[in-house]
Amino acid sequence: MTDTSAAQVSAPAAHAERDPGPRPPRRKSSSGPNPWLVRALVLVGTIAVWWLVASLGLVNPVYLPSPGAVWDAFVQANRTHPIAPGVDRMIRGEYNYYLWEHLLASLQRIGIGVGAGILVGVPLGLVMATVRWVGIVVEPYVNFLRALPPLGYIGLLIAWFGIGDVSKYWLLFLAAFPPITLATIGGVRGVREDMVNAVYTLGANRRQALTTVMFPATLPQVITGIRVATGFAWTTVVAAELNNGIPGIGGLAYQAGTELKTPITIACIIVIGVTALALDALIKLVERTVAPWHGKA
Amino acid sequence: MRHDRDVRIDGLAHTFDTGDGEGVRALDTIDLTIEPGQFVCLAGPSGCGKTTLLRLVAGFMEPSEGEVRVGGDLVTKPSAERGVVFQQPMLYPWMTVRDNVELGPKLRGVKAADRRETAQRFLDMVGLSDFAERRPYELSGGMQQRCQIARVLTNEPDIILMDEPFGALDALTRERLQDELLEIWRATGSTVLFITHSVDEAVFLGTRVMVMSPRPGRIVLDERAVFSTPEKNLDADEIRALPAYAELVDRVRHAIHQTEPSPSR
Repeated sequence: MTDTSAAQVSAPAAHAERDPGPRPPRRKSSSGPNPWLVRALVLVGTIAVWWLVASLGLVNPVYLPSPGAVWDAFVQANRTHPIAPGVDRMIRGEYNYYLWEHLLASLQRIGIGVGAGILVGVPLGLVMATVRWVGIVVEPYVNFLRALPPLGYIGLLIAWFGIGDVSKYWLLFLAAFPPITLATIGGVRGVREDMVNAVYTLGANRRQALTTVMFPATLPQVITGIRVATGFAWTTVVAAELNNGIPGIGGLAYQAGTELKTPITIACIIVIGVTALALDALIKLVERTVAPWHGKA
Repeated sequence: MRHDRDVRIDGLAHTFDTGDGEGVRALDTIDLTIEPGQFVCLAGPSGCGKTTLLRLVAGFMEPSEGEVRVGGDLVTKPSAERGVVFQQPMLYPWMTVRDNVELGPKLRGVKAADRRETAQRFLDMVGLSDFAERRPYELSGGMQQRCQIARVLTNEPDIILMDEPFGALDALTRERLQDELLEIWRATGSTVLFITHSVDEAVFLGTRVMVMSPRPGRIVLDERAVFSTPEKNLDADEIRALPAYAELVDRVRHAIHQTEPSPSR
């Protein structure tokens, strides 16, 4: 079967495989300067201005320590160091934990909270989207829960589950599962009817239609829901650690702030922000790996 | 071939519920028997209910009146005996082209080696062997439609229902796919119900050409067309050059124009 339309379309792909020769630099010429370069320059500029303001003594270092002081605090928080200059007594990092241990403690909390959110949220969303009356009954409650700021009910959770980690797990779970559930529902409802009809005409039974079509078709939306939930859980965990949050990166930031240890507080804020970006990038990477078709089909 | 089951459409009618208690009558009492091996083309203006007819035969909806039987069995839901080629290829992007084509036998639990062999035969037939490990979204519209046709053929249905399968393609690809479909049909002897709004396509492909009037849909012309049959074995240009071909195109076109309530549509 000779076929020019196939040849036309496959041409670019085949070209890439067979012919590794130079390609016209189409993308670069049209999009101006490299965005990453611009971002790096802006970052360097920001730090330079910060450094200038601090070193000119324009602001009391208790309010705004220099970038160097923040870096020193960051390094010291990850080491065993003397409790004060010239004193023999040694201490681990800050409040007896290294900074990375504080970070790990917070990550572990959102891992458990979001993990439980996925385990409950995805099946709940699937059931709500496929069994009409469950959706009708449960959806208002999920929406209600999603609308609440988690810190509004942390007091209640502490009263129920104590001041330890259990109340924090509950808080993060309750923060994480509504976005996941709602995204799953959206995913199921967004599957084109004929996508499902097609698999029935190929001989699928109901179970096969769910596993071969509904689940994979919903996957990109579910991952988007997990991304939203993780971002939300991260801001929540940091705030939740205001109560009994050591070890915990939010607890450390708060505690250090109340003791006017501004350099370590700022170091924590930077770590919290960078971690949030890293988590988001990680989930995006997972999505590109498990649902490479998203946005293309 | 095992295609020996006819499709009998008996007093089929459909009214869509519009919520005002009256509804829209999309299809008016269709009686039609499709014999095994026939290539039935149903032409008509858009909105005439031809897609509704196809979806009823496919079992996607329940008819308001009447019934459809395949080899005597009442149609109540979609099933593998009635394959559907949708206008928009309903391929699954999480599977490769090959996995899409193998899907029907896989769902039935056919052994991997066997279904691979069947799938390969039809991938060859539609010229997609070199693209078997690609994802559907990496293919052109025409190739996606070929893949969908291969997927349905692999499943060996009693009848293939095609809903304007080439309607979204450019004119050149469309003609090529018509030629290919004709070759495939001559080789497999499948029974086909083919919906189109193109008169030329209907006359070119069909062994039987029907015209449907709009709202409510009713069959107003039912003619035998013999241009595509294997015995003739004419190629596309030869078929289109036949005087009888031009004559039937005229008759079908005339029938369609008569069905239209006003020239503004």
